[in-house]
Amino acid sequence: MEIKTHRFMPFILPAVVLVSLVVLPLFNVPQAWLLYMFYFFVFLTAANMWNLLAGYSGLLALCPAAFIGLGGYIMTILTWLEIPYYFGIVVGGLAAAIFAGIISISVFRMKGIYFAIGTMVVPAILRLLFLRWRPVGGDFQGGGAGYMIKGVSSISPQVSYWIGLAISLLSIILVYIILRSKFGLGLAAIRDNDVSAASSGVNVFKLKLFSFIIAAFGMGLAGAVFYTYQGYIEPNSAFDINWLMIVLLATVMGGIGIEWGPLLGTIIVVFLHFQLARYAGMSLLIQGFILVIIMLVAPQGLLGLFRDLRIKAGSWTRKKLPAQG
Amino acid sequence: MELLNDLISPIVLGTLLGGLYVVVALGLSLVFGVLKVINVAHGTLVIFGSYVAYAVASAWGIDPILWLLIGIPLFFFLGVLIEKYLLARAVSKSADAALIIAFGIALIIQNAAQIFWSPQSRSLLTDYSFNSFQVGDIYIPLVYILNFFAALIVMLVVRQFLKKTYMGQAITAASQNKGTAELMGINSKQVYQIAFGIAMAMAAIAGVFYGLTFPFNPVSGNALLIIAFGVVILGGLGSMAGTFIGGIIFGLSQTLGGYFFGPTGQLLVPFLMVLVVLTIRPQGLFGR
Repeated sequence: MEIKTHRFMPFILPAVVLVSLVVLPLFNVPQAWLLYMFYFFVFLTAANMWNLLAGYSGLLALCPAAFIGLGGYIMTILTWLEIPYYFGIVVGGLAAAIFAGIISISVFRMKGIYFAIGTMVVPAILRLLFLRWRPVGGDFQGGGAGYMIKGVSSISPQVSYWIGLAISLLSIILVYIILRSKFGLGLAAIRDNDVSAASSGVNVFKLKLFSFIIAAFGMGLAGAVFYTYQGYIEPNSAFDINWLMIVLLATVMGGIGIEWGPLLGTIIVVFLHFQLARYAGMSLLIQGFILVIIMLVAPQGLLGLFRDLRIKAGSWTRKKLPAQG
Repeated sequence: MELLNDLISPIVLGTLLGGLYVVVALGLSLVFGVLKVINVAHGTLVIFGSYVAYAVASAWGIDPILWLLIGIPLFFFLGVLIEKYLLARAVSKSADAALIIAFGIALIIQNAAQIFWSPQSRSLLTDYSFNSFQVGDIYIPLVYILNFFAALIVMLVVRQFLKKTYMGQAITAASQNKGTAELMGINSKQVYQIAFGIAMAMAAIAGVFYGLTFPFNPVSGNALLIIAFGVVILGGLGSMAGTFIGGIIFGLSQTLGGYFFGPTGQLLVPFLMVLVVLTIRPQGLFGR
C-alpha cells in the first residue's frame, strides 16, 4: 500500500494547482485576472506546441502565425455559416493540421535555413490570400475589412477562461505523453543526431511530419480560441509576425527544448504584455532588449540556467565531500 | 499585340526594381554565407538606413545619395560593433541563438523608429524624385534607373573586393570552411565582424534607394526581409550571379503580378513563386 500512495505523490501538486485553476472563476475575482489568465493559456498552448517543433523536433518553423490565423479564420467563417463556435474551434485546429500536412509537401523538401525561410513565407502568403478572399458575407465584410465573429458575444469571460484552460492543459498533456513515448524517444534521437537516428531505424521524416501536424493542430486551436474572445478578425493582425515573437519569447526565455520552459516563459511574457501595455510603444522595445539580454546571458533560457547552476553546484559539493570525509 | 504593349512597362520597371532587391538581398546573403546566421534583422536594418537618411535630409538638407559618403562608413562601423558585442557570443553557441538575437535587434530598431519618427509612412523626397524618362510609349522614373545602377556598382565592388583583396579572400575562405581558414592563419573573429560591417554598409545603400523608391514605415522591414529571403532563395545561397537573377525575377514577378492580379498580386505572385521554386529545387535555382 505504501508504494501505491508514493506513486501518486508527484501528482498531488499538479492536481491541487489544476483544481484551484478550474474553480478560480467561480469566486469573485477581478475580470482583469481572468483576462490575464486567458492570454496566458492561449500563449502557453502556442508556445508549448512551438517548443515541440523547435525544441524537440529540430524544426525551426517560423510560421506559427499561419496556423494561429488559419484556426481563427476557419472558426470565424464557420460561425457565419451558423455553426456554433465551440465546434468551429475544433474544426479550426483540424484545418490548421490539414494545412500543415499540405504545406509539408513543399516545406519538408527544404533543409535547415531553407526550411526556416520557406515557412516564414507561408503566413505572408496567407495574409495576402485572405486580403483578397471573401468566402462569406457581402462586399463590406471579409478581405481587408475582416470579419466580426458571430454568436460569441454571449460567451462570458468565465467560459473563455475555461476553454483557454482546457486547450493549454491539452497542449501540456500532449507534450507530456509524446516525450515519454517511443515517438518522443525518436525525436530525442533526431535532435541529438539525425543521421545516426536514421541509421538506427528511426523514420526521421515521419516523426518530424507528425510533430509538425500535431503542433499545427494545437496552434490552430489556440488561434481559434483567441479569436472567439477578440470577436473580430482581420488578415493583417491574424497573420502578423507578432505571433512568432510571442511564442519565440515565451519558449526562449523559459528554455527551449525544456518541457516546462514555455510555462515559465509565458508567465513572463504575459506579465510584460500587461505591465508594459501602459507604455504602448515602449513595450515591444523593452521586450526586444529583454530578448537580446537573455540570449546573451542565458541562451539556454531561465530554466536552462537553473539546471546548469544546479549541476555546477552539485559538482562543487561533490568535490567538497571527500575533503570532509 | 495590345497586351504586349501594355506589358512592356511592367517588364522594364520590374527588371529595374529587381536591382533594388539585389542590393537588399546581397547583405543577407553575405551574412548567411560567412556567419551561417539567418539575419532576420536585415530588412529592418535597411529601413533603419532609410530613416537615418531621412533624418539627415530633414535636419541638414543633405541629399540622401550624397549622405552615403558618410553613411556607408558609419553603418560599417555600427555593423562591426553589433557583431562584436551582440552576435559573436551567440554565433559560437548556436545558429538559433544568433537568429533570436537578430530578431530582438529588429524589434528594438522598429520600436525605436516608431517612437522617434511615429508610425506614419515617410519617404525620401528630393528634387529628382519625380523626374522620369520617356522611352517610346513608357515613362521610366529616374529613381528606378538609379536603383539599377546602384545594384550594378555594389555588385562589381563587392565582387572585386572578395576576389582581389586579402580580407575579401579571407571572407571567402571562412565562408567555405571556417576550421581550415583558421588553420591558414585567418582571424575568423575579425572576418565575421568585417563581413557583418559590409552587410550593414549595404543595408545603408539599400535603405537610401528603397526610401527614394517607396514610402516606408517602421515595420516595412518585415516585408522587405521576406522579399530579400525570396530573392536569395530563388537564386540559391552563396551564388552572387544567382542573387542578381533572383532579384530580377522577383522584381518582374512583382510588377507582372500587380499588372494581372491587382495590388495584392504584387507580393502574392513572387511569394508563391518562392514556395514553388523551393518545392521543385530545394537548394534554389542556382544553389549548389
